[in-house]
Amino acid sequence: MSDRALAAIDGVTRAYGGVPVLDEVSLSVGTGVTAVVGPNGSGKSTLLGVLAGAVEPTEGTVSYPDGAPREGGEKRVGYLPQQVPFRDGFTARETLGFYAALVDGDADAALAAVGLSDAADKRVEALSGGMRRLLGIAQATLGDPAVVVLDEPTSGLDPEMRERAFRAAARAGDDAAVVVSSHDLELVDAHADAVVVLRRGRVAAAGPRERLLDEHEVDDVDGLYRAVASGSADRPTTPDGESDAGGETDDESVHVVGVSDR
Amino acid sequence: MSAPFDGVWLVFRRELVTVRRTPGYAVLALGLLVVLGGLVAVGGGGATGFVPAVVDLLLPTEVLVPLLAVVLGYRALFADASSGELAVIRTYPVSAAEYVFGVLLARTVALVALVGGPFALVGAYVWLTAAPDTGIFATHAGVDSPVLFVRFVALVVPFGAAYLSLSAAVSTIATSRRSAVALGVLALLAGVLGGDLAVLRSLSAGASPSGIAESIAFTPNGAFRGLVFEHVIGVAFAPEGGFVDTGRAVASLVGWSVLGVVAAVAAVAFESRVDVAVERLRGRLGR
Repeated sequence: MSDRALAAIDGVTRAYGGVPVLDEVSLSVGTGVTAVVGPNGSGKSTLLGVLAGAVEPTEGTVSYPDGAPREGGEKRVGYLPQQVPFRDGFTARETLGFYAALVDGDADAALAAVGLSDAADKRVEALSGGMRRLLGIAQATLGDPAVVVLDEPTSGLDPEMRERAFRAAARAGDDAAVVVSSHDLELVDAHADAVVVLRRGRVAAAGPRERLLDEHEVDDVDGLYRAVASGSADRPTTPDGESDAGGETDDESVHVVGVSDR
Repeated sequence: MSAPFDGVWLVFRRELVTVRRTPGYAVLALGLLVVLGGLVAVGGGGATGFVPAVVDLLLPTEVLVPLLAVVLGYRALFADASSGELAVIRTYPVSAAEYVFGVLLARTVALVALVGGPFALVGAYVWLTAAPDTGIFATHAGVDSPVLFVRFVALVVPFGAAYLSLSAAVSTIATSRRSAVALGVLALLAGVLGGDLAVLRSLSAGASPSGIAESIAFTPNGAFRGLVFEHVIGVAFAPEGGFVDTGRAVASLVGWSVLGVVAAVAAVAFESRVDVAVERLRGRLGR
């Protein structure tokens, strides 16, 4: 994982209907996989939307050393929203073909990279949920963007598909900053280089995974999650989507800035 | 992408494929053909000639073409925005203008095919069944001609395009499919009835009837109707013209289309900023 930040957000607040969903969040991400974890409603999707340029912050700034997402003639950020949004009626190859043509990419190579070559001629609506998400990951990584933002790419998938999705994300992280939100703490443990824990719209903890585990004297990300994020009104979920009643209320003033080792 | 218009072309192609694979649009075109053919048949059949056919079709066209255009346009931009795919597309080097141009251009081509096809078939039916003298290619007064029907169909296209771009622009503020439908219906009613009601109201308020030819050109329906009277029906029956100022009516149809495109581009480009500005204002007022 490189020390160089590929995206940085500074003092970002985003409110909806006057209610802040993100509250003065500051962090930066470098190459490798950064996992964003937190209870439902903690602001994960909004944070990822801000990083992808899909959500405009109410306050604060987002900066990209290599250029902002919607500037210039290159794709700077890849984005997969929580709901995979592709149009019905198109095959997987046609769907990726459209996006690949926008960045002079290779749709078939992208399909092969996520193991979807055999499903290339299947229509999007005929793909399983897992395949759709893999297609979404392939789309997000097309054009080799510096930052890849994947919002819950493993949501609702079986264990094998979850593993495939995370492995695909991790491969992209060799050259890019891959930011992934997930409730699947086991996979986060296995693949994430850095972790951001959100709690009620604020960063409760952020940094390289190993350092955070040492600092909080826990063995894994699940332990970190219980130590830092749980205890809020909205219960955290386990990888199986069950309510996690364990953990203690953490001091809400915990606010770590910076994910990379700058 | 290597060329500046590649984004427009790729979005256009994707949109056209989407329309082509939506069977409902073909059904609508078939329905339009049945209605148009039925109206011509009820009005005396193709034997009456091209201009009588245009007279029979004019009023229904003023409702059916906007209806079909709104059906084509009300989800044109809303679909990608509501599914979240627009947020994905915007991470690619495609500007808001390129995206909107691509979508609307494809939908306009679809409109030409879906509306132009039934009208062309009706024209062919008149051609095959009309009395002998209607087959003469002539544009001078008193003579019916296929050219006049072609003119009518040519005027239908910009008329429908105006409604298409306006309904697409209106759809950008929709928050759900239901609200998109409601906004589309609202745009349809405002366009089809609003202009004429406004003219009637101005007359009842004391405006001079001589000003109708000018004021009627400002609405899409008025401009279209005026142009049809001026350049199709009037050619055969009232060559002195004076139904509408041609330049003003053409500018009106083009202007409504351009207005819709500009509004749609602005909505796609700046919607999130407007949303943020509202939130900031709300935050300041709440303090």
